[in-house]
Amino acid sequence: MLADIITPDLFAAALRMATPLALAAIGGTICERSGVVNIALEGIMLCGAFAGVAVTLATGNPWLGIVAAVLAGVAISAIHAFTSINLRSDQVVSGTAINILALGVTGFLMEIMYGHPGTTDSINTIRSVFRFESNADGGFVSTVWHWINGIFLSHTPIVYMAIIIAFVAQWAMYNTRWGLRLRALGEHPRAVDTVGVSVLKGRWVAVLMSGALAGLAGANLTLEQVGSFTENMTNGRGFIALAANIFGRWTPLGSYSASLLFGFADALQIKLQIFRGQIDIPPQFFLMLPYVLTVVVLAGVVGRSIGPAAVGKPYEKK
Amino acid sequence: MPLLELREITKAFPGVLANDRVSMRLERGEIVALLGENGAGKSTLMNVAYGLLTADSGEIRVDDQPVKIKSPRQAIDLGIGMVHQHFMLVEPLTVTENIVLGREPGRYGIIDFATARQRVREISERYGLKVDPDAKIMDLSVGMQQRVEILKALYQGARVLILDEPTAVLTPQEVTELFRVVRSLVDEGLSAVFITHKLEEVVAIADRILVMRDGAVVGETTPGDTDEIGLARMMVGRDVVLRIEKGASTCGEAVLTVADVHVLDDRSLEAVKGISFSVCGGEILAIAGVDGNGQRELVESIVGLRRPSSGTITLKDKDITRANARASIEAGVSHIPEDRHRRGLVLEFDLAENIILGDHRTPPAAKNGIMHPKAIAELARKRIADYDIRTPSEHVHADNLSGGNQQKVVVAREIGRDPDLLVAAQPTRGLDVGAIEFVHKQIIRERDAGKAVLLVSLELEEVLSLADRILVIYEGQIVKEFVDADADAETLGYYMTGGGGSKFASDGSNVQAIETPPTGGNE
Repeated sequence: MLADIITPDLFAAALRMATPLALAAIGGTICERSGVVNIALEGIMLCGAFAGVAVTLATGNPWLGIVAAVLAGVAISAIHAFTSINLRSDQVVSGTAINILALGVTGFLMEIMYGHPGTTDSINTIRSVFRFESNADGGFVSTVWHWINGIFLSHTPIVYMAIIIAFVAQWAMYNTRWGLRLRALGEHPRAVDTVGVSVLKGRWVAVLMSGALAGLAGANLTLEQVGSFTENMTNGRGFIALAANIFGRWTPLGSYSASLLFGFADALQIKLQIFRGQIDIPPQFFLMLPYVLTVVVLAGVVGRSIGPAAVGKPYEKK
Repeated sequence: MPLLELREITKAFPGVLANDRVSMRLERGEIVALLGENGAGKSTLMNVAYGLLTADSGEIRVDDQPVKIKSPRQAIDLGIGMVHQHFMLVEPLTVTENIVLGREPGRYGIIDFATARQRVREISERYGLKVDPDAKIMDLSVGMQQRVEILKALYQGARVLILDEPTAVLTPQEVTELFRVVRSLVDEGLSAVFITHKLEEVVAIADRILVMRDGAVVGETTPGDTDEIGLARMMVGRDVVLRIEKGASTCGEAVLTVADVHVLDDRSLEAVKGISFSVCGGEILAIAGVDGNGQRELVESIVGLRRPSSGTITLKDKDITRANARASIEAGVSHIPEDRHRRGLVLEFDLAENIILGDHRTPPAAKNGIMHPKAIAELARKRIADYDIRTPSEHVHADNLSGGNQQKVVVAREIGRDPDLLVAAQPTRGLDVGAIEFVHKQIIRERDAGKAVLLVSLELEEVLSLADRILVIYEGQIVKEFVDADADAETLGYYMTGGGGSKFASDGSNVQAIETPPTGGNE
């Protein structure tokens, strides 16, 4: 039975499941590094998911759907940026409000645009980038090829984009002007201000970037994985992404790796459900797996991680 | 031609005229000290020059050209650099990253760290400011961090260096080093503005002294033309007693007895390693030492905020070793804490509430668990009058008062309680001369009333001026005892920095073999 569970597609699914988490988590990393808590990732992701499907249904072009999802993410996160940076309101309250707003707005728009709640019509999901033939029969070489092909070469574009983004963001954070200023912003914004760099601008850019990434995460969910939009379909992924960001110690690659772990938990739980007749454990326990993992991680099994010193604190010029 | 000139700068905040037509000029190669009490407007003036604040009226001239400075960026571009009182350094970042922040070398947004490191090294060598470019700020000492701040200003091309209360956080040794550095920078052609309220520093470092009071310049002088007494008079506007006169102490019975006390710090490391002493009524015993040598833990164990791991503490035959803060107050211990904002006051409470904190369960403040606002207000008004607390009423929130008046509130509460033992931890930290004088007088008055006073201070001047007896603490142990007359700053400083050797030093490197303290001569 183990051989039936441990297959290339288990790991492929892990990579797939990790993608929306990772994109949102990297967004969270960038946002929090700038000193703004972004608890709104969940809602932003949901808006991205909806905008992606809506535009694809209207135009028939999923690529336009991706663009729309990103733009929707940016637009929603602008609300968060304005309230938490310009109005200096409580960032957790602002984020929570956006989450509730996103749930309401997407449900409302469904009623208006499609005349019913629940789930939208289906679209054709974006297909995987490569389509190589492989099978597990035969010799060693073809088996290895089968695994590599199955795990790494079976994915849709945003899955690869997420990997590239993780590496590029990691590099940029530690090698570019933007990255240095970003890291300084979340620790000691006044220090940044006194060397003549705008705190306002830096934080706005970071929040909008997190919106774009969370929007892209939503696009991955609907346009590449599910093929339709269902109300509240993000189902807590935005919060798990925040946990992944913390687990990854506020670094893009760390966020990606942590998301892989959560993605794997998710993939495993799905796989185990298939074998539920043969394993004498109620399926609800498998469903709990990613969430239990989140709690365990956040409870500090990995050791206490310390976030940016000024995160969550509005900046006021003297 | 002056390098920097401020003409008739006026800046008002709601309710306060922080700068009232203030003018100053700074020549090339000159150190100007801006001297004044807290709230005199020194920092406001310099924040205007650095673009952190915009003046309501007035003119700024650089190289005799009128300029507008609306942001730090513009100030930096004009060659004005500032070392802030609270460092503008990002703790988890490296020295190099902090220094180049905002002006990173490189192309297409990619930082050229090799060049950055090289430039930091160049500047640090040129001005003799040694520092490891790859060290993280959080691993550096405060003195080193300040050095990084200075390097940052130099990297940005500062010709004028504004130092805002630069010595507030430094040890005496670091102050000496800072003065050397500033002097050598000025020899290289830079100019410096030195903001301070410490008289001895002004005399030691400045070429010219500008004294400010209540938002206006009240005098200009040079160290040669005046002395500390004259400066203090200008600064406060009346005669100030710098070193308080006090009669001989009359030592009564022992009030506080500390016997072989060991105390752990927050990280569970032993901070106090077996200390014994006693304080008698009518005596001021001072514990002198460099910050972080176990003073905090010792004080906390005496006032009931931390339990010693072993040893006993007795107050007039009563064992208070395991007393909590409440039991400690009831036993007769008062405590002026070192951090008045965090422990001395509840800033969001009004004065009346702050004045009865700790006495809020007993008459007159309360009876049977019910508080009596009228009695509290009455008591508060009495204290406000007795201790000369400058406030419109007893209902003003503590955070609206100046530092000096806040400390008066703490002193009024703790002394007003009529304790047997007064524990005063850095009672004048951050205060200006007028307020220091007041606090010192109160402490002496307690002593003269036959109370026992335990003074913990980092300020040598304060220790020497107040103490009848001095214990020097080093790495959690008492390494030396002085009776008032035979102590001087030099010798005290020697023992405070471990010169006397530590009996139980955790590693051999701390034990120094020097037996005789140095005699005279500055390092």
